[in-house]
Amino acid sequence: MQKIYEAELSFLEACLKVNPKSYGSWHHRGWVSARLPRPDWARELSLCDRCLSLDDRNFHCWDYRRMVVKVSGVPVDQELEFSDRLIGSNFSNYSSWHYRSTLLPVLHPQTRQEPPHASSPRGPQSHRVCEEQLLKEYELVQNAFFTDPNDQSAWFYYRWLLGRAEREETISCVYVSREDERVAVAFSRPINARCVGLLLVLDGQPLRVEWRSVHPRFRHSPVLICDLPPGTINDVTNEHNLTVHWTGNHTHRDCALYTGRVESWCRDTATDQELFRSELSVEKTSVLQSELQSVKQLQELEPLNKWCLLTIILLMRALDPLGYEKETLAHFQTLKEVDSMRSEYYSDLCCKFMIENTILKMEYAEVRVFSITDRNLTSLCHLDQLLLVTHINLSSNRLQRLPPQFAMLQCLEVLEADNNFLENLEGVYHLPRLQEVSLKNNKISTLTDLQPLASCPELKRLDLRGNPVTQAASVESDLAELLPSVTDLLL
Amino acid sequence: MAEEEKQLEEFEQIDFLKDRHVRFFQRTLQVLPERYASLETTRLSIVFFALSGLDVLGSLDVIDKDLIIEWIYSQQVLPTDDKSNLGRCGFRGSSHIGIPYSTKGPGVLHPYDSGHVAMTYTGLCSLLILGDDLSRVNKQGCLAGLRALQLEDGSFYSVPEGSENDIRFIYCAACICFMLDDWSGMNIQKAIEYIRGSLSYDSGFGQGAGRESHGGWTYCAIASLCLMGRLEEALSPRELDRIRRWCIMRQQSGFHGRPNKPVDTCYSFWVGATLELLGVFRYTNFEKNRNFILSTQDRLVGGFAKWPDSHPDPLHAYFGLCGLSLIGEPNLRKVHPALNITQGAFQHLQQLHQTWRSSCGQQH
Repeated sequence: MQKIYEAELSFLEACLKVNPKSYGSWHHRGWVSARLPRPDWARELSLCDRCLSLDDRNFHCWDYRRMVVKVSGVPVDQELEFSDRLIGSNFSNYSSWHYRSTLLPVLHPQTRQEPPHASSPRGPQSHRVCEEQLLKEYELVQNAFFTDPNDQSAWFYYRWLLGRAEREETISCVYVSREDERVAVAFSRPINARCVGLLLVLDGQPLRVEWRSVHPRFRHSPVLICDLPPGTINDVTNEHNLTVHWTGNHTHRDCALYTGRVESWCRDTATDQELFRSELSVEKTSVLQSELQSVKQLQELEPLNKWCLLTIILLMRALDPLGYEKETLAHFQTLKEVDSMRSEYYSDLCCKFMIENTILKMEYAEVRVFSITDRNLTSLCHLDQLLLVTHINLSSNRLQRLPPQFAMLQCLEVLEADNNFLENLEGVYHLPRLQEVSLKNNKISTLTDLQPLASCPELKRLDLRGNPVTQAASVESDLAELLPSVTDLLL
Repeated sequence: MAEEEKQLEEFEQIDFLKDRHVRFFQRTLQVLPERYASLETTRLSIVFFALSGLDVLGSLDVIDKDLIIEWIYSQQVLPTDDKSNLGRCGFRGSSHIGIPYSTKGPGVLHPYDSGHVAMTYTGLCSLLILGDDLSRVNKQGCLAGLRALQLEDGSFYSVPEGSENDIRFIYCAACICFMLDDWSGMNIQKAIEYIRGSLSYDSGFGQGAGRESHGGWTYCAIASLCLMGRLEEALSPRELDRIRRWCIMRQQSGFHGRPNKPVDTCYSFWVGATLELLGVFRYTNFEKNRNFILSTQDRLVGGFAKWPDSHPDPLHAYFGLCGLSLIGEPNLRKVHPALNITQGAFQHLQQLHQTWRSSCGQQH
């Protein structure tokens, strides 16, 4: 058998010389090697080395090499040295950096404190690297991007090194309204109302309720609501204790509704959750500071390099989003000029950061007013963080729609969104407290566009001046029929 | 949308040679050059490129649809009378194995005769494009043949004898289940786990766990999740943002499939469609993308090549057209980004689904 298989291997080598990218040839070679009575793994590795020296991006060869390493038991540190050599000879070898990213967590794993959550499928982000090795890797990567700042390999690897694992899954907010007899719960990730295991306990007794998303077209939502049986909490002289248990994640949150209070909440702020320091490890502020200094040095030498700018922005947002706000905006301007092909993507990213900063400022001031005007916003995000907001001002931006996610603003009383391009108000849906809406100078053109407002029972004031819909003949009577609760209508 | 149309008007000096491309695909369906001989076992997929290409060009009227429909059905591996070969059913790539021509059952058992997952997928697409109602597709056979190909780890082989297994065939499987409106053909949960396991450190998807990120596999991952209706369940908002970032960075003029590789016409679709499915295609630069694709247009022979000054081939011709369709090139039909057929063919499929669901009254 050995002879037959070896002849096959010679044949395959000839095939691979002609076409080193043939799925069939590599697969067959793997098939033969696995069955060979006396395999010569050293020869296989040397074949891979030769192949990679001709084309270091040949993923067929890399995959085959991975298999050989695994089956023949080549120690991981030896492979790490192999990647050292490859990277050392050519920093621009993306495939080598990739290989390194798979070896490192095996060789220097970060010990996990908690077991993985049963409900979330395990992903590669769970393979983190221990601190000691990280610092050595930072040095290696810095050498790489200082040597060739325009090659993206080292930058992507660097970003991965700086990144951290996904946050623990928690209930970030429980909100109770006595008047509406409604409970709203915000989670750290979107969930499906039908699949989630939630238990509501009121004053020590489990209560059967039906959880739903805030909008039928928004099934996978970070905010769910439920109605309590009538009469359960509406007597303001009574105190109540509410607990929401998220059974799948073994976590819960309490909320006490005191006598004389019409509403209550218990919330981790975005600041507490370090929500917007999204990408980077938090323990090592000093390390992040020193990394920021290094990359800033490089930026002085290479002012047109987009990777530098992106990384600086990332590091600044990790260290102090509000403190670095002005600098971050300036860097975004430069970034849009330097990498103009992606300028719209950067604008969108910048808008996202501005929304994040507005949320942080709002929390710092301990108010429930969210205002972001004249910022060229084209889309909204983090609406789940605005569950408690009572007043929102989005005027003078470039919004075209208020999407279904907008319905997460369950406490909203006043909506101002003048001077936008709004034609779609889907998300203004069953907002129980909404009283005032100002939509001057938008693109609302038909009565159907205003349909969602009919679901808001408390709506009293509506300003539609400067919208095409006001030109329609019977607009006043149509609106009186559609929105009977509105007493103050401006056309 | 209006801004993009204006941009395109300004750049019409690189003209799009529609008629050449129609003739290119017509020739593809008639005769292929000798160098395509090695692709004989996957010939049905080349037929798909030509048919869907003609559909995108709005020129299906130049071919004999019925003839091709018959040929496709003759590639179906049908169950034998005793149904002993169910795990081998599906569609073949061509008649290369020498089975006598037949479009009707029952099947005849031959050693080494089986369907190939990518041929079943492109076969079904091709039938839809040609307006067929799939009534002669043996669904039971196709789904059983599909189930036989899925491994423990959630990925698929391409043939029951075994082959390499990876995320490409998960995409094929997802398309088959979607078209047949029957997800019993695969274990969705396991497939999702394999897909998640293929997410690399830089937030692109590899062919499988531990493998390098690549525009093609990223498309397979995202499109599969969209067809399954599980995109937001399988990937967190943060992961989706990081994937968007990896994909957006693939644009150099046109798109490349991996960092530090040259741009290639077909990635204008693989990466472009992924960005479209993730809602951020509008942030790419349409003008540069269009200019690159058209620089690979062969002005003499028609079709597109992977690079400028290279030979055109049906795959790049088709994906070049799809890439142009995504940016709204006038006179090209819109393509469904997940299923990779025209919206017209997709609507035909939706009507078939409605008919099937109401006639058998089952819950899907």
